[in-house]
Amino acid sequence: MDPIIEVYKRDVDRTLIRENLRLTVDQRLANLEALLRDAEEIREAMRQAKSKRAAEHHEP
Amino acid sequence: MTEFRELIRILSDAQVEFIIVGGVAAFAHGSARVTQDVDVVYRRTPENLKRLVAALQPYNPYPRGAPEGLPFKWDERTIQLGVNFTLRTTLGFIDLLGEITAGGSYDDVVRHSHLVEVYGTTCLCIDLDELIRVKKAVGRPKDFDAIAELEAIRDERRSS
Repeated sequence: MDPIIEVYKRDVDRTLIRENLRLTVDQRLANLEALLRDAEEIREAMRQAKSKRAAEHHEP
Repeated sequence: MTEFRELIRILSDAQVEFIIVGGVAAFAHGSARVTQDVDVVYRRTPENLKRLVAALQPYNPYPRGAPEGLPFKWDERTIQLGVNFTLRTTLGFIDLLGEITAGGSYDDVVRHSHLVEVYGTTCLCIDLDELIRVKKAVGRPKDFDAIAELEAIRDERRSS
């Protein structure tokens, strides 16, 4: 498996890793929660935009 | 959304013997790969099952993906009858693992774990080397990216 992993390693963004390694474990997990919160907000905004478009489409 | 740190704090405060593994462990080690659930290996002693049940009881654990209304009862007997549980709670998703493939039970994994500080409390997290070893042993193609990133983290740590 190692040669395969070596190929995959070429595409790893090490700048993100270096940024994360500067943080404490608690800060990393807080970032994870913030990322998920942001993703949920984006999903909700998209849901609302879709409903709005659908409502507009059905207006006479 | 899963409140990772709150779930970890609740288990720690209740003195549940558990080890963080999986995606949250990877994130704790420096991964940038987002995960949505907490995977923990828990110790299957009667005392620990009692603490685990009491700790999660207020958060209504229920099998994830299962239809509503199943006769699921969150108690020690239920945990004794199973090993691994994928649950949703009011604090989010948690996987309780009595054992992990290629890693074994709590008593095996604990030898390859270290203390980390989360939310003002300390808990055990699987070591980076062991996390890589287990993922490689399982050998799922979907993990190749994750393994590559974990190895890159190890390289970065060694070079810094």
